[in-house]
Amino acid sequence: MEAAGGEGAAAGGIALHDFSGRLGEQRVHFHAMRLRDSLFLWVGAAPALASLAVAMCSPRDSIPVAASLLGDPSDTASACLAQRLASKTKKQVFVSYNLPNTDSSFTLLIENRIKEEMMAFPEKF
Amino acid sequence: MEVGPIVTSKQREEVVHGVPTEVVCTAFSNSILVVVTQYGKMGTIVYVDPNTISDNVGRPSLTTKVLLGKDEPLVHVCAKNLVAFVSQEAGNKPVLLAMALKDKTMEGIQALREVIRSCQVW
Repeated sequence: MEAAGGEGAAAGGIALHDFSGRLGEQRVHFHAMRLRDSLFLWVGAAPALASLAVAMCSPRDSIPVAASLLGDPSDTASACLAQRLASKTKKQVFVSYNLPNTDSSFTLLIENRIKEEMMAFPEKF
Repeated sequence: MEVGPIVTSKQREEVVHGVPTEVVCTAFSNSILVVVTQYGKMGTIVYVDPNTISDNVGRPSLTTKVLLGKDEPLVHVCAKNLVAFVSQEAGNKPVLLAMALKDKTMEGIQALREVIRSCQVW
């Protein structure tokens, strides 16, 4: 089953994937869109899109470069998560992080939940 | 416990004027995300925002802002042509448009608009 689904998705085409997780006190929703060599990931508890950042690996630096595209530029949560996912996937990563909680311990839980899903459904990322 | 998706998406793959095209529309509470790609990538990202002050015929005018990619007049024109109706029909919500187009002709844009319409989530 996995091979059939994975192969079909890998042949091209945008793959959408929704998942969620109970992190701390709240349920957090994720919406992933896999494109060619890039990934869009939205994270939130309510269905609003208030911020967007992009990150990609750079040959000159071990830390991926990031830029805030939408929302408060002083809020670096989207950019930080995009950087971490870019370094993991080696893809261009767009992240929209829409949670008020930006503690590093909480964002680590978020990141771990994403990585868990990436392990389970690699063809979706 | 299984929880359904919190946002609604519709996607479509179609050959538009000979060019394989993919469209994905996603409805957020405060905006609509529209991805139109003929390269498989996000491409240029444009934020299309309806102004609260309407123009003479009562429709709100649209402000386009290129967030990522080449900021040239044709990009603004294409963006408005592609998603002005989305913003309007969604009750004047802003649209976040990601477009990577091979065919930017009038006919091409018009055909793409119909594909976007077929992915109505607003």
